[in-house]
Amino acid sequence: MTSPGAVIETEGLAKHFRRTFRRQVVRAVDGISLTVEPGAAFGLLGPNGSGKTTFVKLLLGVIRPTAGQARLFGRSCQEPEARRRIGYLPENHRFPTYNTGRQMLEFYAALSGVASEERKRRAGELLERVGLDGWGDVRIGKYSKGMLQRLGLAQALMHRPSLLILDEPSDGVDPVGRRLIREILEGLRQEGTTIFLNSHLLAEVELFCEQVVIIRRGEVALTGRVRELTAGSGYRLTAVDVTESALSEIRGKAASVSSQDGMLHLDFPDREAANLAIDVLRREGVRVEELRAQRSTLEEVFVRVVQEARKQ
Amino acid sequence: MIFSSPILALVGDTFRESLSRKIFWGFLGCSTVLILLFLLVLNIDLVEGGVAAVEVFGMEVNQGRTVPVEKLVGVVLGAVAVFFFTAGLFLAIFAAAGLIPTVFEPGRIELLLSKPVSRPTLLLGKFLGTLAVIGVNLFYLVFGVWIILGFKTEIWKTDFLLAAALAMFAFAVLLPVIVFVAVVSDSAVLATMVTYFVALMSLIFSQHERIAPYFDSQWPRDLTKGLYHVFPKLYEIGNTARLVLMERELASWMPLWSSGIFAVVVLGAGVWFFQRKDY
Repeated sequence: MTSPGAVIETEGLAKHFRRTFRRQVVRAVDGISLTVEPGAAFGLLGPNGSGKTTFVKLLLGVIRPTAGQARLFGRSCQEPEARRRIGYLPENHRFPTYNTGRQMLEFYAALSGVASEERKRRAGELLERVGLDGWGDVRIGKYSKGMLQRLGLAQALMHRPSLLILDEPSDGVDPVGRRLIREILEGLRQEGTTIFLNSHLLAEVELFCEQVVIIRRGEVALTGRVRELTAGSGYRLTAVDVTESALSEIRGKAASVSSQDGMLHLDFPDREAANLAIDVLRREGVRVEELRAQRSTLEEVFVRVVQEARKQ
Repeated sequence: MIFSSPILALVGDTFRESLSRKIFWGFLGCSTVLILLFLLVLNIDLVEGGVAAVEVFGMEVNQGRTVPVEKLVGVVLGAVAVFFFTAGLFLAIFAAAGLIPTVFEPGRIELLLSKPVSRPTLLLGKFLGTLAVIGVNLFYLVFGVWIILGFKTEIWKTDFLLAAALAMFAFAVLLPVIVFVAVVSDSAVLATMVTYFVALMSLIFSQHERIAPYFDSQWPRDLTKGLYHVFPKLYEIGNTARLVLMERELASWMPLWSSGIFAVVVLGAGVWFFQRKDY
């Protein structure tokens, strides 16, 4: 089954490694089917050793699948041409230290087929964009980890890719640099670039991505829109000076009641119960401070998924 | 730097990498010392087409005898050619073995493979880059010695350039071995060891006719003869260079084309393995 226009599409993608001198087979990726639409900001999550990096390597044709298919822009990912519109920032990269920042950018851009004049122009432009203007002619060996990450991002952008695959882009970057990277990615998303983000920083993924997939033991444990995955069931109502009679009337409908700093917090399992409580409180002249839908953080969702899978 | 294609980009990158390595500068230093030796230490007095006196470090070495200048130039250039085929080849393998496997380092190979360049192109680019680095060094030495000797003797022996090209060919025949072992093992040390081993075995097998009588049975004789035909023929390539310098006719081109086939097959095997390897 192919989805026309999909940027990334995998179908039963699997990679099994056979351990040398043993008969044991490691199922690093085990039948992942996934579709990423153009312009999406897609997060790839999973605990260590879950198969995220192997999955990314399969997409890039760095390793060959044991079974299944992976397509980029409708082409098999084993074809070099499928990678023409991809920008990639690997985790634990080792950029050749004998290059200056500018030479490194121009080298990788040349491999992506960028013309000479455009390479020069684009290198200067991107060095400035990632906050490395003035560092372009300095050897990479002198760069800090955070600077290397920013240079790596510039490298991934040299040929104006339609799909950006980023493996831990904020790794080792200070908060200011992290914000800069986020702003750049936000700008690219607005321009329509598809972003596939593999990160351990769940708050960052939650802030940036619309969709995520959580991988565990090489399989998809959960996938969906961040908004839907983090949507909780129920509402929290906060009020002050709640009278005894109002409280006794609504206590039975609330899932839990707690007080803090003179405020009363009431958790209701559904919208009807919350509305009924508001009616009672308003009739009694109680001031309602806040009513909000309960949400989980992505981290809570992630931990829950991983723990559930462990129990199985 | 301006590159018009991925191959040129890889060649340029290999040059930059070589410039950052001490072995490259050591190679260049050895060549410079040899050139300076010819320039400053060797004094030749020419009298009517002959050499009246040859002085090395101010000491006369021809002891008053007049030597035909052509012969002297042939001897000197022959000695330099021997240097190419021994120390030069040894150093070139050592330098090249460090350049090829760096491509396969984790964290570097993934990024290279993520580019829209086929794996054979990547390997070929690195192969040509390494060949070019060694070629530039050889060119520097060959041209330096040739020009200095040419000015000092007024003899411009172009056969020497052909002999140098044969030395380069000998290296080009061994480089695929480095590439193949580096692809399979990711190890510069193993690539160096195996290449030296192939070079050594090639020299041993070249003497298969001489060593045959020492075997008790026929099968070792057949084996060494068979391996002689499979392995590159470094000894014969060196001998061809000698014959070229002595302006003698070649008995056979077989050592050249069979060594060429060896190089193509081993490089092809390296490409085949590289295309199927997971990183």
